Amino acid sequence: MSPDQKDYYATLGITRDASQEDIKRAYFQAAQKLHPDKNTAAGETELFMGVQQAYEVLSNPKRRALYDATLPPQEKIDLPYRYNLIYSRPNLVHLDEPQMLYLIVELESPMEGRRTLSPPLNVCLVLDRSTSMKGEKMDVVKSTAIQVLRSLRPQDILSVVTFSDRAEVIIPAAYHQERTRLEARIQMIQPSGATEIYQGLEAGVKEVMRSIDSKRINHIILLTDGHTYGDEQLCLTLASKVAEHGIGISAMGIGQEWNDIFLDVLATRTGGSSTFISEPQEIKRLLLEKFNALAQTYADDITLELNSLEGVELSYGFRLQPDPAPVNLDDQPMHLGSILQDTSTRLIFEYIIQPKAVKSENLTFMDGTLNVTIAARPLPVPPLRMKLQRPVSNQPESDPPPKEVVQALSRLMLFRMQERARKEIDKGNIDLATRQLQTLAANLLSQGERSLAQTIMLEVDHLQNKNTLSAEGGKKINYGTRALFLASSNKKEFVS
Amino acid sequence: MIICSNCQHANVSGTLFCVECGAQLDGVETLTTQAITQDQITEELKKKQRPEPPSSPINSWISLHLMDSGKILPLASRNEFTLGRLSEGQPIMPDIDLTPYQAYASGVSRLHVVIKRESSRVLIMDLGSSNGTYLNGRRLNPHVEETLNHGDVVALGKLKIQVLLRNI
Repeated sequence: MSPDQKDYYATLGITRDASQEDIKRAYFQAAQKLHPDKNTAAGETELFMGVQQAYEVLSNPKRRALYDATLPPQEKIDLPYRYNLIYSRPNLVHLDEPQMLYLIVELESPMEGRRTLSPPLNVCLVLDRSTSMKGEKMDVVKSTAIQVLRSLRPQDILSVVTFSDRAEVIIPAAYHQERTRLEARIQMIQPSGATEIYQGLEAGVKEVMRSIDSKRINHIILLTDGHTYGDEQLCLTLASKVAEHGIGISAMGIGQEWNDIFLDVLATRTGGSSTFISEPQEIKRLLLEKFNALAQTYADDITLELNSLEGVELSYGFRLQPDPAPVNLDDQPMHLGSILQDTSTRLIFEYIIQPKAVKSENLTFMDGTLNVTIAARPLPVPPLRMKLQRPVSNQPESDPPPKEVVQALSRLMLFRMQERARKEIDKGNIDLATRQLQTLAANLLSQGERSLAQTIMLEVDHLQNKNTLSAEGGKKINYGTRALFLASSNKKEFVS
Repeated sequence: MIICSNCQHANVSGTLFCVECGAQLDGVETLTTQAITQDQITEELKKKQRPEPPSSPINSWISLHLMDSGKILPLASRNEFTLGRLSEGQPIMPDIDLTPYQAYASGVSRLHVVIKRESSRVLIMDLGSSNGTYLNGRRLNPHVEETLNHGDVVALGKLKIQVLLRNI
C-alpha cells in the first residue's frame, strides 16, 4: 500500500478479519454520523465519500481480495488512545488444579487528547420528587439543577425529568436560550408521592434518545433517596437497552433509605457508577463533580466483547479508576465506562483457568474486541483485537508480581470482603458474615484505616443484635471501601 | 494450591491475597515491608507537635536518661506512662514513643512497659513485650509490678534507660 493510498479498514473502523456483517454494520454506523443530511462540520462530506468508497470495495468479496493483496502485511493499527497491560504473573504453569491470573488494562488519552475541546453534552437529570425529598434535600437539588443549567455551554443539551409514582418532563431536551423561564420551572418542583424509579428512568431515556448522537456524551444522572418496589427488573432491562445505544447512567443515592446494591447494578450495566451522598449539603458538590467529569470525557463508552474460551472463566472485573466500581460481567459486550482527558482508566480482571485449558505452550485467556467512541473524532475508532496469551511452563515463576497488581488487589480484597459479607447476610448466614466483617475490620486497621474499621465494628454489633446491618452502615462500608482506591490512585505524570 | 499461613484456607494457585482472611500469601512480599525511614517518622512527629511531656524538669516526677544517646526525657503531668514505639496501623499508641532512639533496632515492642506513680512509690510493669524488660540486669516477669528506685537501669530489649526520680 502506497502512503497516499487509503486504508479502507481504518476508515470504517474495523479489523482486517472483519466479516461481511461487520463491514455492513460499521458502514451504517459511520454513514449515520457522516451522512450529508446530518453532518455539520466542514469536510465531513468528503469523509463520508471515503466511507462510501471503502464500503464499496470491502463489501464486494472479489474487490476486497484484490485490495487485500495490495496491503502490506502486519499493518500496525494507529489507535487514537494508548493502552497498557499488566499481568500478575509472567507465565502459567502446567498444573492439575485451577489457577488464577490477574490482568490490569490501562487506557489513556494521548497527549493531544488532553487539549481537545470537551465534547458537547446530552444529559438528562432524573430527579426524585417523592415526599421523602421534602425540605433541605429538595431545596439543594433544585438550586444545584439551576446552577447546572446556568453553567451549560451553548452546544450542550440538558433535560430535566422529575418522578414520584409518575414522571414529568420539566425541561425537554433542547438547546436552551431562555434560561430564566426554565429556572422558574425548576423552582416550581413540589415534592409529593412515592418513589418509582422506572417511571423517571423511562422518561429520562426518552429525552436523551430525542437528541442521541455519537458526537455527544449521552448520559442520564439519576438522583433518588428512596427504595423502588417491584420495578427493579424493568429498570435493569432498560439499563441494558440504553447501554447498547451508548448511553451511560450515573446513580446518586441520598441518605439512608435507597437501595445501593440495586442502583449500583443499574449504573454498572451501562459502565456508569453509583455515588453515596450521606448528607444533603453534599449533593451540590458531588453533582457538579459528576458534570465536570462528563465534560472532561475524552472517549466514551468503552466496551469489551469477549468470546468464551473453554476452561477459562472471567470471574471478576473491577474499574480501579476513575469512579471505582465493579464491572458488570453479565451483558455482552461489557460496558466499562469512559476515558477522561487527564486521568487514565484502569480495570482489573480476574481469570480462573481450569487444568483442561492448559494444554499447549501458550494459553489464550482473552479473545475479544475493545471498542471506544470518541465524540470529537469524525471517523470511527478502529476496534482493538484483544487476543491475549500467556506462555505455560513447568516451573512456577519466582519473580514477585508487579506492584501495581499487588496494590490494586490489596484494596480490591477489602471491597470484595464486604461484598461477600452482604451476600451472606442476605442468605441469613449471620455468623459467617460477622466473621467476615471482623476480618475486614482487622485488615483495615492493619492498613491504617481506623475510622472505617470502627464503622464496621459498630455494624458488627448491629448485625448481632438485629441480624442485619443498619441502613446507613451497609452503604458506608460499600462506598468506604471504594474510596480506598481513590486514596491510592496517583495522577500519573506522562512522559511523551 | 496455596495454603494461607494465617487461616489455612486453600486458595487457588496464583491468588495474591487470601480469599478468606485477606492476608498476603507467601511469595508475595512487595507490600509487607513499608519503606518508612526513621527520619520520616521523626519529621512527622515534629510536624504533628505531639504533646510531649512538659520538658521543664521542675514539674517532672521522673526523668528517663537514655544511656546510648545521653538524652534526658523529663516526664510529668500524668501519673502513668506507657513506653513503646509507634508503628503504622497500631490501634493503641504508647504515651512515650521511643522510635527516635533506635527503638526498633534495640528490640522495643510497640507497647513495652508501663511506669506509674502510686502514692510514694514508682512502679514498673512489663506489658508482655517480646524481648523483655530488665531491671538492673534482672529480667522482669511480665505483668508483675516492681518498685523503681532512683538510678535504676531499665533495659527495654537492648535499649538502656536510667531512671531519675525526684523526691515525691
